[in-house]
Amino acid sequence: MKEYEGSKSSLVRLYFTAKMALNGLTSNLLRTFLTVLGILIGVASVVSLMGIGEGARRTVVEQFESLGKNVVIVKSNQPALNFEPEEYIELLDRVDGLEYATSIVNTETNIRWRRSRGEIEILGVNEQYPIIRDHELIDGNFFSSLHVKQRSPVAILGYNVAVSLLNGRSPVGQSMTIDGISYRIIGVLARKGNGKGEGIDNKVIIPYTSAMKIDGNRTVSEIWGKSDSPENAALSIVQLGRIYKRQLGIYDKDTDTGGEDGNEGGGEEPGIPIEEPIKEVGTAKPQPQSQNNPIFDNSDDLITVTSLNQLVKEADNANRVMTLLLGGIAAVSLLVGGLGIMNIMLVAVSERTSEIGVRRALGAKKYDLLIQFMLEALYVSIIGCIIGIAVGIYVINLFNRNGLDAVVSLQAVKISTVVALTSGLLFGVYPAYMASNLPPVEALNRK
Amino acid sequence: MDKVIKMDNIYKNYKLGQVNVEALKGINLEVEKGEFISIMGPSGSGKSTLLNLIGCLDKPTKGLYELDGNRVEKLNDYQLSEIRNNFLGFVFQSFNLLSSLNAIKNVEIPLIYRGIRKKVRKELCKEALEVVGLGDRMHHLPNQLSGGQQQRVAIARAIVGKPAVILADEPTGALDSKTGNDIMDIFQKLNKENNMTIVQVTHEEDIAKIGNRIIRLIDGYIQ
Repeated sequence: MKEYEGSKSSLVRLYFTAKMALNGLTSNLLRTFLTVLGILIGVASVVSLMGIGEGARRTVVEQFESLGKNVVIVKSNQPALNFEPEEYIELLDRVDGLEYATSIVNTETNIRWRRSRGEIEILGVNEQYPIIRDHELIDGNFFSSLHVKQRSPVAILGYNVAVSLLNGRSPVGQSMTIDGISYRIIGVLARKGNGKGEGIDNKVIIPYTSAMKIDGNRTVSEIWGKSDSPENAALSIVQLGRIYKRQLGIYDKDTDTGGEDGNEGGGEEPGIPIEEPIKEVGTAKPQPQSQNNPIFDNSDDLITVTSLNQLVKEADNANRVMTLLLGGIAAVSLLVGGLGIMNIMLVAVSERTSEIGVRRALGAKKYDLLIQFMLEALYVSIIGCIIGIAVGIYVINLFNRNGLDAVVSLQAVKISTVVALTSGLLFGVYPAYMASNLPPVEALNRK
Repeated sequence: MDKVIKMDNIYKNYKLGQVNVEALKGINLEVEKGEFISIMGPSGSGKSTLLNLIGCLDKPTKGLYELDGNRVEKLNDYQLSEIRNNFLGFVFQSFNLLSSLNAIKNVEIPLIYRGIRKKVRKELCKEALEVVGLGDRMHHLPNQLSGGQQQRVAIARAIVGKPAVILADEPTGALDSKTGNDIMDIFQKLNKENNMTIVQVTHEEDIAKIGNRIIRLIDGYIQ
């Protein structure tokens, strides 16, 4: 043996073992294909199902983000508790974290454009609206604070409205009649997209002072503010919450007798410390307060204060859980695929018993056989994994072509790869162990 | 002369279901280099068990066994694999070639487990296949070869690593008598010309006589 010393390499046996493992696969192609199929289906379902979940998550997040970053919303759920139109100015002054704010008036009225008439949604805001909503203009300018103060008849059009008027030409400089008064169109907002920005593309934006006149109310039910950072948004929520809790201390008594009255008084002097100030006031730390939180669905709260950041986070979390759940269900099928590998490998071992014996007689060590059968199982899961990912991506494309928002999520690819390979290894271990531990004599004699 | 095989008071027991079988009861056996011995005996006499022990496929229950200067009765599985790989060549009754590999690849296997590189391997395998007269069938798959040819490939596989002993378990058992004689001619040639030590198990008297010593086993004893 010494004479070959220089021509030896430990890679020789590993290469041979790897090749023999491949031989094992090609010796029964139908069986290999079916085993691969088990893994393939598992991986493809993880990738595509998680893709759907991830797509849904992104859609929701995008919808919220289209409403602006670090936006704080104060909303009254009872007309009696509505805010004074200029209350936002006071809030800007009293709340440290708040940079911008506007009253919001949502109403609907009839408009006339040349000879056609129609109904349209009106959004009344102040001049800070584009900053608060992170909304750009594609033509003209937004109205100024002077316009707001003077209740000027100026209008900014949502993208779809603007496009529909003059077949795509800019209507800036033209006039339209809103609720019987002629408004000058001075700007057009950039497109937000379907379902985004609360349908702003289909609205007409005018100063809230003008909108209140159309609306006929003397108060507003919603104030939107903006902070320059998520931290400040959280801080603003705490401070706003404190302010309105204190106010509600008054209203708790007054709402029973006369809503209108209390409404005005509270709006003008929200700071008056009356009777029992609420205890939680002491917690000045900006932590998300769950009781202030759900503005849109929890009408039990008289006044709700929340930030879009929180809503995004909650929606995001809920969707993430759903995505993982979908992935988890699909991963179970991957495990079943792994069991298929184990099943077939056990058959392969018992079929090749005498071959195992011959190898042992010729000098194969236990680990040579262990590696050979492990590799065989691993090949199946690798092939299944690669094709499965490809199929999953194809399925996602199919979904997308049929109107579902699905995305290829890297997380899904990672999870399915890890699960597929570990299940291949895991379920390959036992058959490989069986093969390598057969006593050579027994293996040789078995037929 | 060198002793290639030295067995001293070898016992082998094994369990067959519930029954404890004493297959070998104190075997003393010495084989010298260049000997060609035949082990004979009725079925159940323990000849296969003895061959497995000589082939290091199994370990004795008791006794000493020295193979070409190596004490093997206490070795572990890993070391026994190396002994088999380096010191022994096996020829089986049913050839036992790997069906997915061609002739030369089958012959290569013992060298691969030694880790010898391809170039050297090919040379040695060609040599071995030429010795058994199959130089022209190197790239045939086992199912493209006749029984005699398959057994010759198996012999080439056994001698390619220049082992200390060639073990043959009924090498002609699956062949007709003419082909069987051809195979025995090869063994004889290897023994005479290459001075190879051969131990064969057979139940045919004619075949056994080709060797230069016959060992008869009865009930686990050497007669």
